[in-house]
Amino acid sequence: MLKYQSWKVAWAFFATCMLLLSLQIIYGFIMGFAHMGYDVLHDWIPFNVARATHTNLLVVWLLAGFMGSAYYIIPEESDNELWSLPLAWVQWASLVLVGVVAVIGFHFGWWEGRKFLEIPRPLDYLVVINVLAFLLNIGMTVFTGRRYTTTAITLLAGLVAAALLYLPGMITFDSQVIDSYFRWWVVHLWVEGVWELVMGAILSYLLIKLSGVDREIIEKWLYVIVGLTFLSGILGTGHHYYWIGAPEYWLAVGGFFSALEPLAFLGMALYVVTMARRGGRRHDNSVALYWSVGCGIMSFVGAGFLGFAHTLPQVNIWTHGTLVTAMHGHLAFWGAYAMPNFAMIAYALPEMTGRKLFSGWMPEWAFWLSNIGMICMTGAFAVAGITQVYLERRVGMDFLDVQDAVAVHFFGLILAACLFTIGIGLFIWNFIQYGAVIKRDVEPMREQSPDAAVAK
Amino acid sequence: MLSKSQAKWFFFVATAGFSGVFLWLTVDTIRQVPERSNEDNLTDQVVRGKTIWDEKNCMGCHTILGEGAYYAPELTLAYTRRGEAWLKIFLKDPQAMYPGRRKMIQYDFTDEEIDDVIAFLKWIGEIDTNGFPREPDLAPAAYAAPPAAGASAAAQPAYFSTVCVGCHAVGGVGGVVGPALDGVASRYTEPKLREWLSDPESVKPGTAMPDLNLSSDDLDAVSAYLMTLK
Repeated sequence: MLKYQSWKVAWAFFATCMLLLSLQIIYGFIMGFAHMGYDVLHDWIPFNVARATHTNLLVVWLLAGFMGSAYYIIPEESDNELWSLPLAWVQWASLVLVGVVAVIGFHFGWWEGRKFLEIPRPLDYLVVINVLAFLLNIGMTVFTGRRYTTTAITLLAGLVAAALLYLPGMITFDSQVIDSYFRWWVVHLWVEGVWELVMGAILSYLLIKLSGVDREIIEKWLYVIVGLTFLSGILGTGHHYYWIGAPEYWLAVGGFFSALEPLAFLGMALYVVTMARRGGRRHDNSVALYWSVGCGIMSFVGAGFLGFAHTLPQVNIWTHGTLVTAMHGHLAFWGAYAMPNFAMIAYALPEMTGRKLFSGWMPEWAFWLSNIGMICMTGAFAVAGITQVYLERRVGMDFLDVQDAVAVHFFGLILAACLFTIGIGLFIWNFIQYGAVIKRDVEPMREQSPDAAVAK
Repeated sequence: MLSKSQAKWFFFVATAGFSGVFLWLTVDTIRQVPERSNEDNLTDQVVRGKTIWDEKNCMGCHTILGEGAYYAPELTLAYTRRGEAWLKIFLKDPQAMYPGRRKMIQYDFTDEEIDDVIAFLKWIGEIDTNGFPREPDLAPAAYAAPPAAGASAAAQPAYFSTVCVGCHAVGGVGGVVGPALDGVASRYTEPKLREWLSDPESVKPGTAMPDLNLSSDDLDAVSAYLMTLK
């Protein structure tokens, strides 16, 4: 049952995730059909609008999920209500507002045109204020709390670093080369650096809860894995610097260190599977464990293995800037950042609502269909991407002729995306079944209500 | 066995150490980029071109230096491969160049804006990119040879080999958007060809052929060349 008043804000963030994800999928379909040749919306939503909306919705819902997770985890880890609940609500409302204004603005050409960081400058400042409010709230909750745990500190460190790394993306440069150089400080060091801290912390928290393995052991390996992440990920940024006009040594530096990046993800996968197996106490929320273990495995396959597949310079010179990148991008973001959010939501909902709706066909099929769908989408992108690399880059066929040749794979992509969408639809339906927690009363601290005791 | 505090130290040392190396390489990169990207040529016009590039979110469809979206062509070497004349006509009315194919937004650029974008693309094309994008290495002769080196290359005027071949083929070399021009001289008289080149719409209303605004020198050169294709 609701142990902390703060969890209501967490629920609002999770609900926001579901909504933005649904919109993201719609824009994905618009692009899939355009690639197939049916760009019927060209005059209203041209491809670059759909693309900016699709990727920015992803960023906003993942961040909303991380924030919701933090608002859920931090109060419990520190055994403390949030420092300021009204501030948390204002922060939630302003994040939603910025997201909505940005997405609508894209449709009227209000953007910056820098990949993944399209949000226009005035909104950037709002994002900064928003994130500062979030960090202040979380930070104060940790420091006024009754205990400090490695999981809480890692989560906080990841979120602070993510906020700091947003700043280099706000400097403008006349040179496309330097512009691109610092844009990757945000994008790469987020997704292959500090976001992994957040992901690692969320998984640790879930494993502690779900597997019953000793906290000391789980947190020790958390340090090792995030250590490996930074060891490989920081200089791994070099794989974005091969061809943008940066010096040639980035080929060696980026190639070597990004070849190590899969190790961090392999470590994460082995860690999750091992801990899940070792647990003496079996939590009955098996679907949350599915998502946690799935996250470990899919992030290794998508981010680690498929990233490695085209990260070496001798491969990347052919594949850079083709659909091969979209292949890696989809499974990487799904495994590494969407799945931990799903895991967290799947774990938190029954805890918050006291309703055990995690058994039965619906949550399980949500897991399987969305994962099978995403794997098939990745396969469709892979076939289209490899064909494109050979025909366009190696044989020298005209770009548009090659696009016609691979259009059929986008039909496959759309079929796979339908499967994926059904899975996500089931997850959202399950989310709705749990009901809202906003009006729910808070239990007195550390006392079980009679009906919760009965449910156990 | 590794203890928790050893694991913690591993994390801090790895992170601090590699962050330090990264910052040092960043300083060196910033030192080298001006020379590698010919920053002396980074004129106001190029910056204006970049502003247009960003404002229109060109990266939302195209890639440049391999970065962007994968819906429209890679443009790092657009200036080198297509040439200024072709780009000018294309940017005026992108859909006219590829009728019925994947659409680019019609931006109604002014001539000055088009020059700015082209200046930006030219500057991009001269950056030392460590060899990206590589020339196709498995290309059959028809694709590999630049159009100018095709069958009747010797006779092709520059305008023809940079602009016209974008859509038309001669001797199997060139684009397929418009009809192949082999034997065109036996189908048209020179005055008719000149009329067609000066104002396609007046000869064939609704044609996909764009108005090229040829200079009189180019008109002479292209029509003289076409008259050799019997």
